[in-house]
Amino acid sequence: MTWKQLTAYLVGCGCCCLLLLASASGNPPPDGEGSPAIFAGNAEYVGSETCATCHDDYEAHLAVTGHGQNNFRNLSDRGCETCHGPGSVHMDDPDNAANWPRVDRLEPDLQSAVCRTCHDGAKQFFWEGSMHQARGMSCITCHSVHSPKSDTDQLQTAQPMEQCFTCHKDVRAETWKTSHHPVREGLITCGDCHNPHGSAAEGMITAVSVNEQCYSCHGEKRGPFIWEHPPVRENCLTCHSPHGSNHLKLQRTSVPFICQQCHANTRHPGTLYDASSLADGGRASNREFNRACLDCHASIHGSNHPSSPYLGH
Amino acid sequence: MHREQIHRGRVTLGFLAAGLVMSMPAMAGDDFQLHLDPLVLEVLETDVDTDSSKFEEYQDLGSGFRLPRLKIEGFDSAGERHLSFLGQRLGREDARYQMSYGVSGRYKIDLDYRKIPHRFGNQGTFLWNSTGPGRLEIADPTQAFLQGEIEARQGNGAIDFDFLNGLIAPFIQSAQQVDIALRRDRTTAKIDFGTLGRFSWGLEYGHENRKGNRAYGGSFGFGNVTEILEPIDYDTTEVQLGGEWNGSKGGVQFGYRYSRFENQISTLIWDNPFRATDSTDGRAYLAPGGASIGGSSLGFADLAPDNESSQLYLSARGHFAGWWTHGSASYGVMEQDDPLLPYTLNTSIVGVDPFTGATFDPTDPASLPTSNADTEVNVLTVNASAGRKFGDGWQLTLRGRYYDYDNQSSRIELPGYVRYHAVWEEIPRITVPYAYSRQEVGAELAKHFGRSSRLAVGYKLKTWDREFRETEESDEDIIRLSFDTRPHPKVKLNASYEVTDRTVDNYDTEAQEFSFLLPEGANNQPGLRKYAQAARETDGLRLGIQLFPHEAWNIDVGVSHMDEDYDESELGLIADEVVQLSAEVGYTPGERLTFFVFGHRSDRDTLQRSRQSGGTVSTDPDDNWQATFEEVTDTWGLGLRAQISERSELDISGNWSRSDGLVDLFTTPAGTPSSATDIDNYEDIELFALRARIDFEITDSARAGLSYRYEDFTLDRFILQGLLPYLPGATLLAADEGDYQASVIGVDLRLSF
Repeated sequence: MTWKQLTAYLVGCGCCCLLLLASASGNPPPDGEGSPAIFAGNAEYVGSETCATCHDDYEAHLAVTGHGQNNFRNLSDRGCETCHGPGSVHMDDPDNAANWPRVDRLEPDLQSAVCRTCHDGAKQFFWEGSMHQARGMSCITCHSVHSPKSDTDQLQTAQPMEQCFTCHKDVRAETWKTSHHPVREGLITCGDCHNPHGSAAEGMITAVSVNEQCYSCHGEKRGPFIWEHPPVRENCLTCHSPHGSNHLKLQRTSVPFICQQCHANTRHPGTLYDASSLADGGRASNREFNRACLDCHASIHGSNHPSSPYLGH
Repeated sequence: MHREQIHRGRVTLGFLAAGLVMSMPAMAGDDFQLHLDPLVLEVLETDVDTDSSKFEEYQDLGSGFRLPRLKIEGFDSAGERHLSFLGQRLGREDARYQMSYGVSGRYKIDLDYRKIPHRFGNQGTFLWNSTGPGRLEIADPTQAFLQGEIEARQGNGAIDFDFLNGLIAPFIQSAQQVDIALRRDRTTAKIDFGTLGRFSWGLEYGHENRKGNRAYGGSFGFGNVTEILEPIDYDTTEVQLGGEWNGSKGGVQFGYRYSRFENQISTLIWDNPFRATDSTDGRAYLAPGGASIGGSSLGFADLAPDNESSQLYLSARGHFAGWWTHGSASYGVMEQDDPLLPYTLNTSIVGVDPFTGATFDPTDPASLPTSNADTEVNVLTVNASAGRKFGDGWQLTLRGRYYDYDNQSSRIELPGYVRYHAVWEEIPRITVPYAYSRQEVGAELAKHFGRSSRLAVGYKLKTWDREFRETEESDEDIIRLSFDTRPHPKVKLNASYEVTDRTVDNYDTEAQEFSFLLPEGANNQPGLRKYAQAARETDGLRLGIQLFPHEAWNIDVGVSHMDEDYDESELGLIADEVVQLSAEVGYTPGERLTFFVFGHRSDRDTLQRSRQSGGTVSTDPDDNWQATFEEVTDTWGLGLRAQISERSELDISGNWSRSDGLVDLFTTPAGTPSSATDIDNYEDIELFALRARIDFEITDSARAGLSYRYEDFTLDRFILQGLLPYLPGATLLAADEGDYQASVIGVDLRLSF
């Protein structure tokens, strides 16, 4: 047995142990019975109708969200108190701020715990330990239970990307660069590549590696080819900036110079190309104008042709 | 019927059938009510002053009618069944249709169909005609004429740019104009079952067809670069079956993913504009100008091969004695086994085995040592993390990652290859199954101060092991410090600082020899270090401050500085530094008014160095040249949304982005090259985009809107500067992806039922 196989078996066994432990640990919390514990104290449930006598605006907002629909009642019959906990103490002394069952006043992890009572699997599977959780964010940092602006996912902004851009200003600026994925056009979203709730991979991407993330849309580059370009296989980000670039095809640095950051062999790879070798220069060179190196090395991501060791065609 | 039409027909039928199936139970119940809100009807009038593809690169904003939005929702009174349909930009090239039907607590079906256009360039000049899938032809008499003129010129004058340009200019002028673009038609269907106790599972199916074309470099030699259209007709099919089980102290996710990529046009054959008959040319580097006119009558490319990928994955999480733990593992196989094409289609070339001296026909696939690619890579990933809180506000997180790219592809020994379709190179080569693994272990210790401050220090060790590369092993130490605090409800601060140090065991400059059966001889610079593998030191600082001086105001200020230094690299990438500044002010006094303005500056400086050589490696530092790239990008934006009367609303947004770049080149006067001219339009780009909209409520269920969109784009890209369809040694598409000014006026009506 190789050590790789051993590692795989150990992880597999670990997962099985977790499964057994989990299966022996009783039923999952019934709907709506987890979060009230955060607020409960000695309070008792009073019913949503009671809440609405003062908070009618919240009730109206909630009615148009998933939490206000009929099907939510199939999951919990506690209404507002599903998340806010029993309200009798607050009702008895409504002006006492200490009794206000406001989720946003809790510590971030407790805020999230309210939501995770129900939303704890699937995309939220890796929430604990994720970058967003670790840096003090909670579900309501991005989501709005009462007044969502988005079509789906109850976000605080109309478009999912705007939610991400409230913090990731640098990425917002990158999307305005001329070479970009169709994020600002709304055809894809940050969530097509990233899981903001956390993932096992770096950068909260949804695939197991950057390259496999890219292959999900660019399957033609998956290969494996008989003639490979090694850095392509290691990381697409070696050459590309996926959030945006001023250069063709999301290149980090424009051709031919990005190629020359690694290739300085004899003859043309190490040759200097400058303004005089542009198309209208005195010594125009097809190694520099148009797509530069790619004018000939068209199969830069790999080739299957026996005559293409240099990734031409 | 064309295959694409069949595909679209299938998609449409699929949606109709799905809609019918979904609607049947809905309609079956008397209490199921459908609600249409909204239905938006819109007419656009678009004016663009150029043929640039850039304005509609990813969108369809052409004049005419469209349905920007149509949403239908339905529920039964018990809240058990839910149906929704959302259509966006219906009938357009960028349309999206989403449909969902679910029975509460039992199952949910989601269907999603979207079109994603991508226009690369308009009105490109194209000498060839497509006469079949993957076949591009120039009329034989044209080829013969050009070949004859060149042969006649031989010995009677220079076959230089002026001569060739004059020769081909009439054909360029009468060549067809083509738009370079493709479109993705992506369909996904997902079924979630979630009621088998703690167990839920789902099945997901996806299919995407990509069709169109894109530019492809199909050169016949250094002096005969031909840019042609690569036909794109890809199908990607994905299936995933997954399950999840959650208990109170843990859970598991597991499943299987399969992906298959199929290229319907896997071979491309195109005519050589300057040759009608095959010939050989030992100086293919120069054809067709200079001293050579030889080469193949046909170019020949093996386009992306069909491939497939499958992956099993298992993730688990749990809580033990105060620790949270995650573990995940996946094992995948990526493979392709396309038939190999022959070395060439040039019938004049004779292949020679340098080991035996035997000759063979390189146009015969049987001459190859193997018939199929037979490549396979196995990927194993293992991730584990754990954390716990302890003491007075302390938190410890441990993390480990392992990724193994195990290349099991067979090594193919080839006696040589055909260069530029023109000459047999008696240089035996062998394919190389590059492989690597990377490991990462790390820990982070954090201390919470009160409920709103957190200071953390983390350490990670990243190691790489590579096969057949310049660097076999590298280690990278990463130390990270982060501080997040909200000392006051009106102030929030996030800061982090990271410093890394990567060391390598050795650097083999001539690692390329792994792909040669006989020593190629040193032809690389010993001082070169490829930056993805080279030793480096980096440091990065990020600081963000958010202020909320008043309930209605928010102010964000951010600064970041990332610096990479490759001090052990004499040549290659030497340094890369990015400084970014951002500021944003938002004002939201109530639901009737929202305003924000932001600015962002990115200033990037990159330094690289190289050394120019002739046929042998130069050892003279005077032959060095150095390039400093300076890129400054400013991005500004604003947004205003205001209710200007009880019945009307104003929405304005604007963005301005400007990039200014320079390549500052340096050479030594005593060396070669001895001088250099800077490039001052290293992607000078400007985009101004403005959108304005007035919305007026006619009745409770009808709103009218008037919208205006304006964009002004300029592109000064050095590699496109002065580009023409024919240039020295190059026949190019020269499609328009440049400047434009565009305006779109829209009138819409939004109805609710």
